[in-house]
Amino acid sequence: MPVVKVLTEGIGDADLRDIEVYRARGGYEQWKRAVTELERPAIVDIVSKSGLRGRGGAGFPTGRKWSFLPNNGRPRYMVCNSDEAEPGTFKDHMLLEEVPHLVLEGMLIGSYAIGSNHAFIYIRGEFLRGYEIFMKALDEARAAGFVGQKLFGTEYGIEVTVHRGAGAYICGEETALLNSLEGRRGEPRLKPPFPAVKGLYGEPTVVNNVETLATLPAILRNGPEWFAAVGPPRSPGYKIVSVSGHVNKPGNYEVPLGTPLRELLEIAGGPRAGRKIVAIQPGGGSSACLFEEHLDLGYDFDTMAQNGTMLGSGAVVFFDDTTNFVEAALALVRFYAHESCGQCTPCREGGHWLEVTLNRILSGGGLDSDIDMLVSVSHQLTGINLCPLGDSIEPFLASVVKRFEAQFRSYVRTAVPA
Amino acid sequence: MTTAQRDFATVVRAVEPEARRLIASYPEGNARSALLPILHAFQNVEGWVSPEAMAQTGEWVGEPLSVVESTASFYTLFHRRPVGRYMLHPCRNLSCVMNGAGEIMTHFREQLGVGHLQTTGDGLFSYEEAECLAACDRAPCMQVNLEFVYDLTKEKVDAMLQAMRDGTYEVAPLPQNAKPGPDWQISQDVRGKSPGARGVSDPNDPGGMGDATGVSMIERLGREPRPFEERPSRERLVADGSARIAAPATNSEH
Repeated sequence: MPVVKVLTEGIGDADLRDIEVYRARGGYEQWKRAVTELERPAIVDIVSKSGLRGRGGAGFPTGRKWSFLPNNGRPRYMVCNSDEAEPGTFKDHMLLEEVPHLVLEGMLIGSYAIGSNHAFIYIRGEFLRGYEIFMKALDEARAAGFVGQKLFGTEYGIEVTVHRGAGAYICGEETALLNSLEGRRGEPRLKPPFPAVKGLYGEPTVVNNVETLATLPAILRNGPEWFAAVGPPRSPGYKIVSVSGHVNKPGNYEVPLGTPLRELLEIAGGPRAGRKIVAIQPGGGSSACLFEEHLDLGYDFDTMAQNGTMLGSGAVVFFDDTTNFVEAALALVRFYAHESCGQCTPCREGGHWLEVTLNRILSGGGLDSDIDMLVSVSHQLTGINLCPLGDSIEPFLASVVKRFEAQFRSYVRTAVPA
Repeated sequence: MTTAQRDFATVVRAVEPEARRLIASYPEGNARSALLPILHAFQNVEGWVSPEAMAQTGEWVGEPLSVVESTASFYTLFHRRPVGRYMLHPCRNLSCVMNGAGEIMTHFREQLGVGHLQTTGDGLFSYEEAECLAACDRAPCMQVNLEFVYDLTKEKVDAMLQAMRDGTYEVAPLPQNAKPGPDWQISQDVRGKSPGARGVSDPNDPGGMGDATGVSMIERLGREPRPFEERPSRERLVADGSARIAAPATNSEH
């Protein structure tokens, strides 16, 4: 079984929240090496060569994202996105609580690489425990001389600010996150300009996911070739996959990208006794379902995209043959209706009416035509919003209505009584 | 537990050093960034974000009350009305629903006698069904005053509620310096707003079927997982009275 321990190394065996334990395992060595031995372009180059793609959802190459920052002499900011709230995803929650120093070291390396002297971490409001753990880690790192001015005898200095959100999924979208960090409503901004050009306080900004940044120390330690050699060429490296749903041992499993879905299922303890898996949602609430015939596909960015879905945040939900897909669809549609920021009419109204319609169907008051309406409304509200939230409804809903249409039909009347 | 006498000057004195520290942690000239963290600080002391707290926050960060209130109203974790001592947040999202969250939510509603976004009459419990809390490996899960509780069962819920009533629960109760009302939402003038913006469906009667507490629907959906074919058909639900079919929907409704 290809479970590996890179980011998850030591979790469960040692209290890595303690800076001494973390340092005894080589912690902060790469941070020191970066500042004292490596030039900034060299780090960008290493990360580009490693092929690391963003772990937050979009899968954008990290090195390339960093290269978009203009050389305009303005201050630059690094923002670590820890607003994890994609349904089914719980990897950043674990990283924040179990290996806060690894997250911090990754943030510091990323900040140095882009030439930033002020890094921010935006922690989801619900992660109160994670916030407290990270604050303690930051204090320890400051006391140990890893955060502050004139680090390791050089001229380089960095400040880190920890910012708590207050309950809004949309703040995981990078421009909404920046608005929230500026003390505004978490409404996504019109793009362009992208954050790389005009981000936090109007200055060049990089927003990276927790897991993306936490991967940096290992890439510096082992070299870009080590990372690039794992998995498919355009989608290399190790990834923490959050497996949940109808499996015996749900949990976070770190695997090489390209691991077949069937193997992921086995790692997570397989289906419950006497049941079989009929559907898989491979990339969080916003991704389209795959089905039993897709179980042999490799789990990586490109293979998922080629099959009409996405790897997203790495949240895999397995559904067995007991699943009521009407309820499953309602859980996700209700989520997107609840989390719409309300700026764009199609998302605000569409999500709401889809929720009302699904509730009506489940309550026994639905009509045959409601099912076609689910599909057409979810399609019509796609691609015409400022951010991808509204677009996230269609993939799952349309894929399960198509596949499990009989379940939806069984709830509704075929004609209006006279 | 009695409601403490509210003395806002003391509250301000307790929050001010933290607020100054927070403002200084952002680059100069960006005090507004500290708006959310300062509201958190007030809520930690008072249990809610009062109008006075928002006005004071505005003074510190250099923004008018309207801006602070507009911002605070965007975020679900800020309560602009007093809430109960224990804020109960069971998760209602996908992985939890697939693992029995429906049954847990039904149980909460029955045991507490309140629905979504409501507070019990004794001011002890506030109840809100939350979206994905990022603990899907331990479904069904919930948060109590933002502390995680995993692998929920009805028995665990009963023991938890009893411990809270006895004052022996492991998670500290929220501060409470004003008596909470039956809910903590602020009613707004919705005339002229679109249906999505005013939220036509009642969260406690989601299907619009006259199911006043939402219990019967959630309970029906939340039974032990079993193959879809074995679930009661719509006809049977109607026959045994669990669902009341309203007047047929017409297109003009949409």
